[in-house]
Amino acid sequence: MAGYMARRLVQAVPILLGVAVISFGLIYLAPGDPIDRFRTPTIRPEQLEGLVRLYGLDKPLHEQFWSWLSTYVQVWRTEAWGYSFLDGQPVLHKIAERLPATLLLGGTALLVTVAVAIPLGILAAVKQYSWADRLISSLATIGYAIPSFLLGLYLLFFGGVVLGWFPLFGMESFGREGDPVDIAWHLVLPVSSLAVQQIAGWSRYVRASMLEVLHQDFVRTAHAKGLTARRVTFKHALRNALIPIITLIGLTIPSLLAGAAITEAIFSYPGVGQMGVQAVTNRDYPVVLAFVMIGGIGVIIGNLVADIAYAVADPRIKLG
Amino acid sequence: MAHLDTVARRIGELEADPESLDRTPVRTYWELARGRFLRNRLAVAGLMVLVLMVVASIAIPALTGDAWRTALLAKVNAPPEVGTTADGQLVFAPLGYSDIGQNVLARVAKATGTSLSIGVAAVVIIVVLGIGIGSVAGYFGGWVDNLLMRFVDIVLSLPGLFIILALVSFWGGGSIWVIIIAIGITGWTLAARLVRAEFLRLREADYVQAARALGASPLRIIGRHMLPPAMAPIIVAATLGVADSVVVEAALSFLGFGISQPEASLGNMLTEAQTYFFRNPWLVVWPGLVLVMIVMSASFLGDGVRDALDPRQR
Repeated sequence: MAGYMARRLVQAVPILLGVAVISFGLIYLAPGDPIDRFRTPTIRPEQLEGLVRLYGLDKPLHEQFWSWLSTYVQVWRTEAWGYSFLDGQPVLHKIAERLPATLLLGGTALLVTVAVAIPLGILAAVKQYSWADRLISSLATIGYAIPSFLLGLYLLFFGGVVLGWFPLFGMESFGREGDPVDIAWHLVLPVSSLAVQQIAGWSRYVRASMLEVLHQDFVRTAHAKGLTARRVTFKHALRNALIPIITLIGLTIPSLLAGAAITEAIFSYPGVGQMGVQAVTNRDYPVVLAFVMIGGIGVIIGNLVADIAYAVADPRIKLG
Repeated sequence: MAHLDTVARRIGELEADPESLDRTPVRTYWELARGRFLRNRLAVAGLMVLVLMVVASIAIPALTGDAWRTALLAKVNAPPEVGTTADGQLVFAPLGYSDIGQNVLARVAKATGTSLSIGVAAVVIIVVLGIGIGSVAGYFGGWVDNLLMRFVDIVLSLPGLFIILALVSFWGGGSIWVIIIAIGITGWTLAARLVRAEFLRLREADYVQAARALGASPLRIIGRHMLPPAMAPIIVAATLGVADSVVVEAALSFLGFGISQPEASLGNMLTEAQTYFFRNPWLVVWPGLVLVMIVMSASFLGDGVRDALDPRQR
């Protein structure tokens, strides 16, 4: 197991390097150059030249890339990811400050998805073609068709503005910082807007997976030897049906991360996603770069976790 | 040799009674597929809704002229009206007027047209890149395949929507072409994987080996022999890709990075509607409804096309 994990980590290195090359290229090719913001009417040309030399902009591209990358990997140093153009804060500090909020939002959305979609999928499969199955499938079709940003907007209006039940923005209320009930209250709408589409997709997948298992011989054998329907469903069928579902976690993490950028922007939720969108608006390149890197690392970790969980859950898979 | 006996017996029967020949024309693959598609009511409904939207998005702006962008101070948040003015001009605003006095129906129609055009154009890029990269990887295999698939892994690891946001914001300035290219160059990975999978399966097929033995060039083998049978999953992915691209464009414009006034997009209509929610809540309903209907119709259509083209997959 340890060997497998080590090998997977080594395989992740070139992918991460590729992500770094593309993010670097994105910023390098972006219009305008890094010293533009120093160009004031009073600056002398030799001062500008000095800045060019200071930032190493006169060096060839590959040298610039390596000097950037070798600094970038030293994440234990505050200045490794540079400073925000906007407020001069170290980018690593800004991310460390906001990452917990995003992880809370994404993690809660994932938990809600699992907790709602798996029972719905099982119910739909066990009672195939019943009214419950039809209802769940129709709702899944509708839920899947509503883009999460649109749902976020509608939830904000109906839950926040019209009914006034939920807060409209942010993660905490003034004067109630750190109160878990208050934070949970703020999470209801953003989590719903992220989770509904995921629940719709997952419940279909769980239903299909469960149906496939329910038609297998070992399930018929379990029924034939007189086990209760309940025991067959939950003990024999469910455990096998859930194995392919684990892979979904790896696929869901990136889409939750991507969705978080927009959801956080809609709900003014103080996570890295909102920071990323603001950074794009303000052309705060160091922060944009950091968000792309964080996204890449998140996806790679997500896939790794899913692969390992898959291997742990299914003993037929040999890690070798 | 049993089948030869059967053939001989059948010839004998035909000679004895020429009328027994079954003159029903042989149905081609495409005719069978069309039959299967037409039996799928949801898919046909999805296609009809999409066709209706395309027609409306061309016809309504054509009939109402500049109404989709003309802001009339007198009509700010005015109720619906249909009829003619004193000087005989057609007024057709069954959905009323927006917060700056633009004809909402005309604007929704124009926005639908813009969104669908962006969706289709982005999918063209996605399909071209997907077929190009996927077919090279699947046909040549080996290190070429390995290299290209690692590239796919890298692109899949990027936060796609955010990259699109950055591309459009840095280079775009609201240009429709930058939006199309940004969606296209980030979205081809699924198409490439599908084409590659089909090609890996087909490259060992006897008829492909035969073509290779006869000296056909790789380009001819790919284009003439391997691409046509690999089209089914590409067509399905393209159908669903249009819906995805429309949603991405709407999200971009909603956040203020895409298309902005006076141009109309489903996304920027939602942004505007947000501000005037209390005075005119319907403004937030129409663009959203169209967006959901596009996604749902495309998904029914995609499912129907898949079942029709590849009945084994059911």
